[in-house]
Amino acid sequence: MRIPYFPGCTLYARARGLDNSTRAALAALGIELAELPQWTCCGTVFPLAQDNYIGMVAAARILANAAKAGDGRLVTVCSFCYHVLKRVNYAVKNNQEAKEKLNNYLEANYAGETRIIHPLELIRDEVGLASLQSKAGGKLRGLKAACYYGCMLVRPAAELAFGDPDDPTIMEEMVGALGGEPVDFSWKTKCCGSYQLLNASDLVVERVRDILSAAAARGAQAIVTSCPLCQFNLDWVQEKFAPKTNGFSKIPVLYFTQLLGAALELPADNLGLDQHYVDPRPLLSGGCS
Amino acid sequence: MAEEKEMVNIYIMGKHYQVPYGLTIMKATEYAGYRFIRGCGCRGGFCGACGTVYRKPGDFRLKVGLACQTVVEDGMYLTQIPFYPANKATYDLEELTPTLGTLLQHYPETTRCLGCNACTRICPQELEVMHYIAAAQRGDIEKLANMSFDCIMCGLCASRCPAEIVQYNVAILGRRLYGRHIAPRAGHLAKRVEEIKAGKFDAEINRLMQVNKAELQKLYDARDIEP
Amino acid sequence: MATDFSFQISKEISGRIREISGQNPHLCMQCGTCSASCTGIGKMDFLPRQVIRKIQLGDPGVLQCRSIWVCTACLTCTARCPRGIDIARLMEALRTINLRKGNEILVLEKIPLDLIKEIPQMALTSGFRKLSS
Repeated sequence: MRIPYFPGCTLYARARGLDNSTRAALAALGIELAELPQWTCCGTVFPLAQDNYIGMVAAARILANAAKAGDGRLVTVCSFCYHVLKRVNYAVKNNQEAKEKLNNYLEANYAGETRIIHPLELIRDEVGLASLQSKAGGKLRGLKAACYYGCMLVRPAAELAFGDPDDPTIMEEMVGALGGEPVDFSWKTKCCGSYQLLNASDLVVERVRDILSAAAARGAQAIVTSCPLCQFNLDWVQEKFAPKTNGFSKIPVLYFTQLLGAALELPADNLGLDQHYVDPRPLLSGGCS
Repeated sequence: MAEEKEMVNIYIMGKHYQVPYGLTIMKATEYAGYRFIRGCGCRGGFCGACGTVYRKPGDFRLKVGLACQTVVEDGMYLTQIPFYPANKATYDLEELTPTLGTLLQHYPETTRCLGCNACTRICPQELEVMHYIAAAQRGDIEKLANMSFDCIMCGLCASRCPAEIVQYNVAILGRRLYGRHIAPRAGHLAKRVEEIKAGKFDAEINRLMQVNKAELQKLYDARDIEP
Repeated sequence: MATDFSFQISKEISGRIREISGQNPHLCMQCGTCSASCTGIGKMDFLPRQVIRKIQLGDPGVLQCRSIWVCTACLTCTARCPRGIDIARLMEALRTINLRKGNEILVLEKIPLDLIKEIPQMALTSGFRKLSS
């Protein structure tokens, strides 16, 4: 199966490991991601001002171009890209004014027909958890993983439809099928502080400490996420405060595709496991085969 | 009357002139009595000094061309934009690494791109400016360099950018990084440099330095020209 | 005698906030669920509930709240509001009114170069879109 794919800017640089591991893991499961021939930044945030159409233009162009691929689907893995593409698509589909303004500007004729799909959805719906289990079941040998969704994947629920906005389980289902032990923790859809890293960085430090402490209290050995900014904040910021915090032991923060890749026994070079601040490799070499 | 038909009406900075059909904007401007001190360089479409914007009655679209290359049309309202203020980073290329971090440290505003496509629409070289900026945003320096290769740095993209990016300066940093740090070294060039250093061409050069002008002219006319 | 125009001014601001956000702030019953759920609350000068109260009262000072700039647009308040108000859109309207006047909080030149080299591009793009004009 070949599906159009929108990687997103960050996956070309800082989060190369997310891009590589997503492509490699899905390929191993029989899904080839075909990168769109030409694309720009999606805009990263959905404009919440009703009259801000320029903030939707880039995403609308990407969607209209993806529609030309003729598949009807577009896969994207970064939580920000997923959020923006899905919400702009929703706006084009359900808001006549947005549809007209964007199409007039882009000189396009797009009606919101593209379906935005997250690899977690592909794994559940196309590959199937039973099939995943038969391929790599038990490989994680009970690794205790806290699945962290953050904000952009799940809210607003009416538009993103990514499961219960307070208690999504799709990532836990994948971890479970691989033989990991998902730990239940109440901070999984809390925000990490996001772009406030640039403006109120101590806010991010506080939120990261809350999230990691909550996960650690439940015995998590690793945090699993799909968002490059969550990954960076959780990973980089703990490096900053860990030395100053008594009794805090560092927790690796992985992309779910890296965990999947490791369970599928893909070559480590493809997974970008060496690109994190807190090195996850000792954990994975001990925790899974 | 026949003579009048060969004249077209143009408006330079709002003032009406009749100029002969077939002239370039630059020649028409001179015909109208202007003298170029700035805003004119090679007159051959390469230097980027004479970026010009114009509109025609009844069309909301802004059109663009180089004054030295674009032929006047009846009803053109035009002005040259020979210069546009630009943010320009200074750097020592030898000390830079060809990474996204380098691009963003010098031009962090690149990440403000809104994807409006105004830059691509105005580029007189018909470059896909928005997409080379997209390549810069994701740190794809090779793509940035290749897509911007024909940029003549006229500055019109920067004049239109709502995010206040100076696209052509981002692009030339990309091409410099690519040329200095990424592109494979040319083997034949290195070989030729070695040959020169070893003195292979010394005798030839010394002989040329002795010949008279007429002889030199003959040699020049009979030289090997690459097809 | 000086004429008091503050009523007109506040009416204009309230109207613009409603127009940009598409939300009716008067639906708010001041329950405080938004404040209790908020990511940025530790750095705010006014709780989200108080920000909405200021909008209801037409207090022009609402545009100067620090709270609107430490909002992470995580949408938790929006998801949990029992009155169905998209509170994140109200916050964005307050930012938008400021940004359109050129009042920005994230000044590009003040971001440390070392940080720019380290962080994901998406942090810069989203920060600029939300916090600078």
